[in-house]
Order: sequence, then C-alpha cells, then structure tokens
Amino acid sequence: MKILSISVLQAPSSGASSLLSSANDLSSFSFYQRGSVGEFVTFFSKTVAERTQPGQRQSVQENNYTAHVFNRGELAAVLITDQEYPVRPAFSLLAKVLDDFVAKVPQDSWNNPSSISFPELATYLSNYQDPRQADGIMRVQQELDETKIVLHKTIESVLQRGERLDTLVDRSTHLSTQSKMFYKTTRKQNSCCVVM
Amino acid sequence: MPPPIQDRTNEFRSCVDSIRSRSSLTRGGADSKQRLLRNAKTTAKTEFASMASAIGKDINGTNIKLGKLAQLAKRKTLFDDRPVEISELTFIIKQDIANFNKQIASLQSYVKQRSAQGSKSPEAKQLEEHNNNVVMLLQSMLANTSMTFKDVLELRTQNMKESRNRTEQFMYSTSTATAQAAASSSMLYNSRPDPMGDGSPSRYDSKGKGRAPQNGDVLALDLDSAEAGIPGTQNGGAFQQMQLVEQQDSYIQSRSTAIESIETTIAELGQIFTQLATMVAEQRETVQRIDADTMDIASNVSGAQRELLKYYASISSNRWLMLKVFGVLIVFFLVFILVS
Repeated sequence: MKILSISVLQAPSSGASSLLSSANDLSSFSFYQRGSVGEFVTFFSKTVAERTQPGQRQSVQENNYTAHVFNRGELAAVLITDQEYPVRPAFSLLAKVLDDFVAKVPQDSWNNPSSISFPELATYLSNYQDPRQADGIMRVQQELDETKIVLHKTIESVLQRGERLDTLVDRSTHLSTQSKMFYKTTRKQNSCCVVM
Repeated sequence: MPPPIQDRTNEFRSCVDSIRSRSSLTRGGADSKQRLLRNAKTTAKTEFASMASAIGKDINGTNIKLGKLAQLAKRKTLFDDRPVEISELTFIIKQDIANFNKQIASLQSYVKQRSAQGSKSPEAKQLEEHNNNVVMLLQSMLANTSMTFKDVLELRTQNMKESRNRTEQFMYSTSTATAQAAASSSMLYNSRPDPMGDGSPSRYDSKGKGRAPQNGDVLALDLDSAEAGIPGTQNGGAFQQMQLVEQQDSYIQSRSTAIESIETTIAELGQIFTQLATMVAEQRETVQRIDADTMDIASNVSGAQRELLKYYASISSNRWLMLKVFGVLIVFFLVFILVS
C-alpha cells in the first residue's frame, strides 16, 4: 500500500486546471520509466481534478491505481495511490493538505505556479506511506488493539496467579493442621510424662 | 440568554430629574448634583465605551441568530429539513464569532495601550479597572455564545443522524437503491403525502405533517412542489441531489463508523479492566486466607519449639530423673539375671 503522488491544483469550475504543487514517489519504477510515469501522474491528476465538482470528493480507478480527489472551492487536491490504500484516511490527508496549503501559501501566488514552494507535500507523502501510523484515527485504533492484546495476556496471567494461589492455600492449610498437631503432641509429652 | 444590552441612560436621567424635583429642600447639594449631571450629559462617550458597546450589540445580534439556529436544528422533520439555510447560518455565526475574537483582542490591546500611557491618578486607575472589567465581561459573553453554538451543533448532528436512519428505513440502501430503484423511491416521495390525505398519520410522517398547521405555508409549498411538479424530472432532480449528498456523506459516514469502532473498542477495554479488577479482588480473599494460615503455622511451630525446649531442659537438668532411670534399668537387669 503506497502513495504515488500528492498534488494541489487550482480547479476553477469551468476550464482547465493548473498544477500548483505536487510531490511524487516513483521509486518503485525503474529509472527509465519514471519520466513517463511522472507525466501520466500529472495528466491523471489534472483530468480528474477538472472532472470533479466543487465541494465533492471522488475516487477514480484507472488500471491498478486509484486517484482520490477532493475539490474544495478554488483548490483541489489529488492523491494517487495503489488500490489497497484505504479510502477514508486518503480523504482526511487531502483535507489536511488543503488546509496547510491555504495557510502557508498566499492567495496571490496561486496564478503563478512556479513561485509556489510547498515542501510540506514531500513530508506528507513520506509520512503517509503507512496510513496506520500517520492517520490519527487509525493510529488510535491500532494502539487500542495492542492494548487489548496486552490486557488479554494480563488476564491470562491473572488466572494462572489464581491457580497458584489456590495451591498455596491448600498447602498452607495442610501445614497449619500439621503444625497444630505437632504443638499438641509436644504439649502432651510435656505434661503427661512427668513421671519419667 | 443574558438580557440584551440596552442604553438606559435616558431612564437614569429622567429618574434623577424626578428625584431632584422632589427633594427641592437642599438647594446647594442639588446644584452640585446638577453640575455633575450636566457634565455627564455633555461628555461624549469615550472611544473605549463606543467600541465596547458596539461589540456588545454585535454579540447580542449573534445570540439572536444562534437562537434561530437552535430553533432550526431542533426540528426533527424528515423532509422539511433546510440544510442550506442551516449551513449558511452556521457559517455566518462562525464568522461572527471569529470576528468578535479579533475585536475583543484589539480592544484588549487598546486598553493595555491606554493603561501604559495613562497617568497614575486614582481616576485613571479606576477607569483602567473598569475597562478591564468590561473587556472580561465581553469575553465571558463570547465564551457563552460559543458554548451555546457548540451545543446547537451537537444537537444538529444528532438530529441529522436520526433523520438519516429514518431515511434509510425508507430507501433501504442508499447506494444500491439509487442505482436500481429510481422509480420506486420516487414513488415513495410521491406516495408520502397520500397518508395525510386519508387523515391517518403515518408513523414517520406525523412529525413532518403534524407541523402542517404551524407553518403550513412552507410545508404546503414543499408538498405542492413535490406533487404538482413534473414527476420524472422533479424527483429525478431531488434524487440526484440525494446521490450527491450521499457521495459526500460516505466519507463522513466512514469517518463516523471508524470513530464508533474506536468507541466500542474503548468500551471493551473498560470492560476488560473491570473484569481484571474483579478477578484480583476475588483473589484477595485467598491471599488473606494464606496469610492467616501462615501466621497460625508460625505460632504453632514456635509453641511446639518452646515445649520441646522445656522438655529438653527438664530432661537435661533432672539428675534425680537420671538416677531414677538408671535405678530402674539396674533393677530390671538384676531381676532378669537372677531369674535366668
């Protein structure tokens, strides 16, 4: 499960979209394929962003890649992943990317794509390669599952402890009766053999 | 809701006038009072006071809007839901609250600036204190507004979920039914009003139709537009909107299911913890028994050792006993040897 690319585009409701910023991870392709794959990725992102209406989220499948698009008013963010990537964290990542972009990049540089520098896209790309760690909800779920496993082991060991305590109790009652008999015997001996 | 901010200085002045006219005995005091009053009349409102009163009025207006939003969110009707209006209102209120934050922050900086440059006279100190108090009052009003806003939003999401459940009961599966049963669900839309015509309120409609007398104009309009409109396109249009909303909702729904699963996991964890606690509490009894038993054993064994020591002491120090023992032995020897 991996992400191929994240891109932020400007997608007006009519007309062509323009790529504002993008980050790719093409390391799984051989060196000579990377150029064409990169072009395919940009073309795919642009087409898909143009065909998504404002305020809409969409997931498009193509060959064995899926593009998740989130168009929010002026801007659209596209995430191209393989088919295993879970859908919900993909969209939450897109929303985060858009928020970050809107906060960091001033609006007047949107018409000038070459002047935009948004290196956070690359960090997002690398962080979200494993969504289970990066996405908040999934991380919480994973930690909770681990905690549950630990608790199950704890309960098992508590049960064993219970068994051991039971044997201990038996032995201690046995010992206690024996020591009482011991005490009684010595007392008897002391009191009844005064003659000798 | 706190009482709306009103400017009652006119009332105050009329009161003072009436009192002054009543107590015409102490002329001198009245004169000084009069002078004070005239000063109060002529001083214009300070800049601070004008800003603060403007903010107060705005907060009041927002509270009224919030009340309207709460009213809208409380409605539990199935079809009379006005999401556009509600979301607009929510957006406006959110913007207003952000604005207030900024305004109050600027007011606070203004007050600080004034206090930095003001003189140390007691009046200026009082004024500063008063300014600070007013700023705090405005902040608390804003906090109240935001709390009510949050409550209203929660109520709204709850109602939306409920209405979503009821809608699903009508159209059993939103994604498949939209694909296949276009006609049937549009018939559902059409047939909804009929139970009302019979006079027997259907279970789900009673909430929507029961309100017909109240705001009959709006509801009747919706019904008319649903019935009298061209069946195909009208319902097709409403349907496509449903589809669009469904698509948007699926992300939100998946989020909510994920969070619900987290919630159930946490509840399970809580259960496991309580089970663990019960088990350990049960074992506490056992441990106490073991503890008591070991104490018994210790006391028994020490008692027995005491007795043994006593015995040993009595034996080892009893020469008389030794003599007796040897005497008995020798007697037996003599007896057996003499006999045999």
